[in-house]
Amino acid sequence: MAIDLEKLTLARFARGLRSGEFSAQEITREYLGRIREKDGDIRAYLNVREEQAIKDAEKADAEKDRNSSPLLGAPIAVKDNMLLKGEITTAGSKILADYKASYDAYAVRRLKDAGTAILGKTNLDEFAMGSSTENSGFYVTRNPHDTERVPGGSSGGSAAAVAADMALSALGSDTGGSIRQPAGLCGVAGLKPTYGAVSRSGLIAMASSLDQIGTFGKTAQDTAILFQAIRGADPMDATSAGAPEEGAYDEALLRPDLDKMKKLRIGLPQEYFETGLSPEAERTLDEVRSRFEKMGFELETVSLPHTRYALASYYVIVPAEVSANLARFDGIRYSRPADAPRNLLDLYRATRGRGFGPEVKRRIILGTFVLSSGYYDAYYETAQKVRLLVRRDFEDAFKKADVLLAPVTPGHAWKIGEKADDPLAMYMEDVFTLPVNMAGLPGLSLPSRTDAKLPIGFQLIGRRFEEPQILGLGQLYEREFAAELYD
Amino acid sequence: MASPINLETLEHLAALARLELEPEEKEKLLKDLERILENVSELQKIDLQKESGSLGAIKPFLTDVFRKDGERENTNQGAGKESFPETQKGFLKVPPVFDNGN
Repeated sequence: MAIDLEKLTLARFARGLRSGEFSAQEITREYLGRIREKDGDIRAYLNVREEQAIKDAEKADAEKDRNSSPLLGAPIAVKDNMLLKGEITTAGSKILADYKASYDAYAVRRLKDAGTAILGKTNLDEFAMGSSTENSGFYVTRNPHDTERVPGGSSGGSAAAVAADMALSALGSDTGGSIRQPAGLCGVAGLKPTYGAVSRSGLIAMASSLDQIGTFGKTAQDTAILFQAIRGADPMDATSAGAPEEGAYDEALLRPDLDKMKKLRIGLPQEYFETGLSPEAERTLDEVRSRFEKMGFELETVSLPHTRYALASYYVIVPAEVSANLARFDGIRYSRPADAPRNLLDLYRATRGRGFGPEVKRRIILGTFVLSSGYYDAYYETAQKVRLLVRRDFEDAFKKADVLLAPVTPGHAWKIGEKADDPLAMYMEDVFTLPVNMAGLPGLSLPSRTDAKLPIGFQLIGRRFEEPQILGLGQLYEREFAAELYD
Repeated sequence: MASPINLETLEHLAALARLELEPEEKEKLLKDLERILENVSELQKIDLQKESGSLGAIKPFLTDVFRKDGERENTNQGAGKESFPETQKGFLKVPPVFDNGN
């Protein structure tokens, strides 16, 4: 059997499985082989489920005739901050090195229900805090396009796994860019859905008002197929929500009306192009813009005037939520306590002090500070107000445009270690992505597919629950510039 | 502007956050926090007074969610106990709240 994994998509996998071209088991074994061959260098996975994935695939093959799930047997990787019952889930932190999940995350359960073969759990920055996967408590993941460079983060393992054909698609989570940024740097597609579109039940919390599970794939279409399978309201997460019109929404996700997409108005947020872009990113974005123009779109400049304040606001709100969310890791529940403490307080302090890495501690301290009496108004309350202004900016922009075209990262992937000691430089990485989380909007990161040496992505931002528009527009682009991935 | 976080404040915050910090960690944290807070002070430049009237008009996108009050299945009460090193009669065994004199 000669299956070209490089050109395999979820859509093609489903067709090949149904037509008997290959079995789920064969494909799963191919991927496991790739992982054995390449993951020693790339280190995208924290845990590979060799036996279980093959069992999942066998089951899918046996059910083929009576199970019509579009994801049946699909080999998928899951970011290790989502619970998989009975298996170790670390969130990339030493404090959870031995933690066995006692239930399935909602998204994971949906993957199991859909009959997928879960290949394993992927590496991430500790508790998803970071933009390079260097903050993992275990090891650094490397960019498959250049192993001297970072894959981005925090979902760097998932992005690298898809980019290196060590998974057909993957789940990630995005609080300020953690799906879109690594997708951009690894040259794959990454969708951060509308806030609430996928339940956060069983996602280890970082900043709950921003955290969002989403999907990686080779194409916009693949991210849509996977997203459709995991989305929806869940009673276990009161912030989760279904789409305004469920049936029509699913249909538009899976079978977008591409002619309708040609009529969308595209806006260019001027502030995103004014500063902060590297020369190569600027060139790439120019090329993407002119490609859309050649496709017949008129691009209109729009303004998001509070963009320059978004980063500052984000780095108040996130640490504040982090300091509260991570209080649960007390050394008693979830993890092994530190040795021989004198008393309970000692146990808390020692376990947390030794179990958390530097970025996590930094955010906990900062969050404790901005929430403390005397500073709360100046920092946290101000940040929340600014967040509203950031959101209003988008609402105003969407009066003039249906979809915003924007950069996703300031440049291409940087060398491992280059920014590791400079938290602010790392925070700047998310400057084009985090406003989208603050406004609760969907964002899609797609490889630009220009001739740049290292991948640089671009971003399509939509109105709430207008995933079909950004995904449809993305498919139009890909059918022109990545035609080999479509039939 | 002097950083609002000095060593004393940092140690107080660490105590509140139940974090044991090594001396070199404190040094690095003080530097990092000073830079981050300087950056964050960008927020003070916005005239929120000017905006305060219109802020209330921005509608939240989340809505209140209610569920019927009634019995429901508890998903995983007691789960995870088995991975704890020491239990007694179904309780997790932890060190004493107060020092036991040593």
